[in-house]
Amino acid sequence: MESSSIPASTSLRVPDTVATVAANTLWLTEKTTDLLQRAPGSAVVVRYVQSSYQNDPIRSVVELLLFLLAVRYVLAPQYSPRKKGNHVELSEKEVDELVDEWTPEPLIEEQPELVQLSENLPVLHKDAPSGPRTKLRDGRTVINLASYNHYNLSNDQQLVESAVSTIKTYGVGPCSAPGFIGTFDVHMKLEKDIAAHFGTDDSVVYSQSFSTISSVISAFCKRGDIIVADRAVNFPIRKGIQASRNIVRWFDHNDMGDLERVLAKLVSERRPLTRRFIITEAISENVGDMVNLPRLLELKHKYKFRIVLDETWSYGIVGRTGRGVTELQNVDAANIDILVGSLAGCVASGGGFCTGYQIMVEHQRLNSPALTFSASLPTFLATTASAVIDRLQSSEGAKDMATLRERIDSLRTQLDRSDWVTCTSAPENPVLHLVLKDQHIKNRRLTRSEQEFLLQECVDECLNNHSIIISRLKSMPLMDGLHPRDVEKEYQPQPTLKVCATAALSKKEIEKAGIAVRHAITAVMKRSKWQRGTAPEA
Amino acid sequence: MSSNSKDKDNRRRRRSSSLMYQEPPESLEQQSDQAVLPNLNAQWVNAKGAWLIHIIIILLLKIVYDIVPSVTQETSWTLVNITYMFGSYLMFHWVRGIPFEFNAGAYDNLNMWEQIDNEDQYTPAKKFLLAVPICLFLVSTHYTHYDLAYFMINFLATLAVVVPKLPALHRMRLAFLNPEPQPTDQ
Repeated sequence: MESSSIPASTSLRVPDTVATVAANTLWLTEKTTDLLQRAPGSAVVVRYVQSSYQNDPIRSVVELLLFLLAVRYVLAPQYSPRKKGNHVELSEKEVDELVDEWTPEPLIEEQPELVQLSENLPVLHKDAPSGPRTKLRDGRTVINLASYNHYNLSNDQQLVESAVSTIKTYGVGPCSAPGFIGTFDVHMKLEKDIAAHFGTDDSVVYSQSFSTISSVISAFCKRGDIIVADRAVNFPIRKGIQASRNIVRWFDHNDMGDLERVLAKLVSERRPLTRRFIITEAISENVGDMVNLPRLLELKHKYKFRIVLDETWSYGIVGRTGRGVTELQNVDAANIDILVGSLAGCVASGGGFCTGYQIMVEHQRLNSPALTFSASLPTFLATTASAVIDRLQSSEGAKDMATLRERIDSLRTQLDRSDWVTCTSAPENPVLHLVLKDQHIKNRRLTRSEQEFLLQECVDECLNNHSIIISRLKSMPLMDGLHPRDVEKEYQPQPTLKVCATAALSKKEIEKAGIAVRHAITAVMKRSKWQRGTAPEA
Repeated sequence: MSSNSKDKDNRRRRRSSSLMYQEPPESLEQQSDQAVLPNLNAQWVNAKGAWLIHIIIILLLKIVYDIVPSVTQETSWTLVNITYMFGSYLMFHWVRGIPFEFNAGAYDNLNMWEQIDNEDQYTPAKKFLLAVPICLFLVSTHYTHYDLAYFMINFLATLAVVVPKLPALHRMRLAFLNPEPQPTDQ
């Protein structure tokens, strides 16, 4: 207050303007302080500021800085660090250049030749029977060795009649997911039948065989969990692994030594305790051979992993009552933590199942995407599957399986005589995978796609000259959006021919068919087109 | 699954010897998983009453410590301050991921502060959450009569929750101050 008199005394020496400015400033400060003091709550602030300056300016400065930081933070404008990194400013010219450079993709893309090949399929007649003898659209009768209907149960009169009567009672589609109103008594009976067949606690039935294993994997694994999988696992397993976003390690196909190496390495790494799974197939879809289950279980127990076993290609086929590899190799199904199988194929129904401990099964009912989001199995398929499972355990089923084994042996004996191909399937597998012998691939320098073309010629030759339908392995579509360079790095099964044995043909007929397939392969291999690189034969 | 992404992941892996590292941006796969559902773990900070609860908790803590016999005002305010800072550090900066299972662990590498408002900086919720500990510090240091020992304890506790909230330390991880990162390799 007393300082207001200073300008007056100094005004004699300094110019008048300065004196006026100074006086005005002081007057303004006074006014503001006065106003501030009149504002409500200002006394508190003044008291706070006065008391915080306790003869310690450093502490006050620290507090002031902290306060200023808060003020600065509160006043700063909002921004997103995510968007910041991606945004690129383009000039008008650059935009024009980009527009000029752009060429639209064709609406319908030109298919690669190999895909066109796969689309060139034989078309059946509209009244063609589904058995081993069928009719093409051009009226020709052919033998179908490309069907998984190994026991020809889909033409069994009794099963067809019971399916029809189920449709009359329940209708065709259940029209709802199992967790909603899609579960009927027949579904519950089927689940009990499967569990009784395996001797497990409980089981759950899926409506599609393909999505069963994908869905089971994603119900149990999440990001951070560890999966050790066979390099040759089928496409739905790969999709399941991909969808569950976990850490994957691959081991060489059915190589238990390599599996042990991978497991030992994983265990030795210091990792947080997460769920750990070994995923493999009982009978491989891509190669056809069989897993060594006792050894797998040994490793599982040693390294404390859980097993997910896909019995899609072995259920109903191997084992005394068709229970799959667990029965064949004398392993208690209770040792397999998650056992998945298929009711499509030789069971002549549809859908898939997962069986094991009660708690594992119950978890899926709410957590498995395919169970919660898709309609349940049509009821007539459920009753058919139940009937077939009963049949498998009866003397009739035993007779079917014995016949199928004989047919497989007959067919295989014929195909094994071929100089050009070898069979990679297990002796029990009715799907015979024929791959070109290494020496021929090497001598003729056949690339993967050339092998596919060659095998497709074999398929065509069989159909055109011998009236037998066989097929190629087409179970691994290329990954979408991958560069061909990266596709090479991914696992791709060796191109194979698939010849499916069936119990519905007599021994003579299947032998004849085997000989025909063998001759067809020989005929193609001797074509001049595929002779390049070979030394002239002596 | 492609080998290409494998190499990338390996390159990004944290070396255990480094004291400080920045959490890399999520892979495209992880980002799409994050976008599947709203982040229920971090959304509530913008909900009604979520701001008021901080004030209420602070007042309740004060009452609780005042009830304890032979606790002076100085100790009481310091305890309130430390408890609040400890709790909020644990909640916002120590624990990572989401305790519930709804997006396959897509946020496993981010703590809650980083999950709030989809990683945006200077959002209203973040401004409030930064202002609260600073105000609490100014108040508590006032009532502890600026005793040097109390001042230091309160000040360090405040720094521990204020510094990690700054945008410059977004996704930064210091050894000892953060739990070990999840292995994200392929």
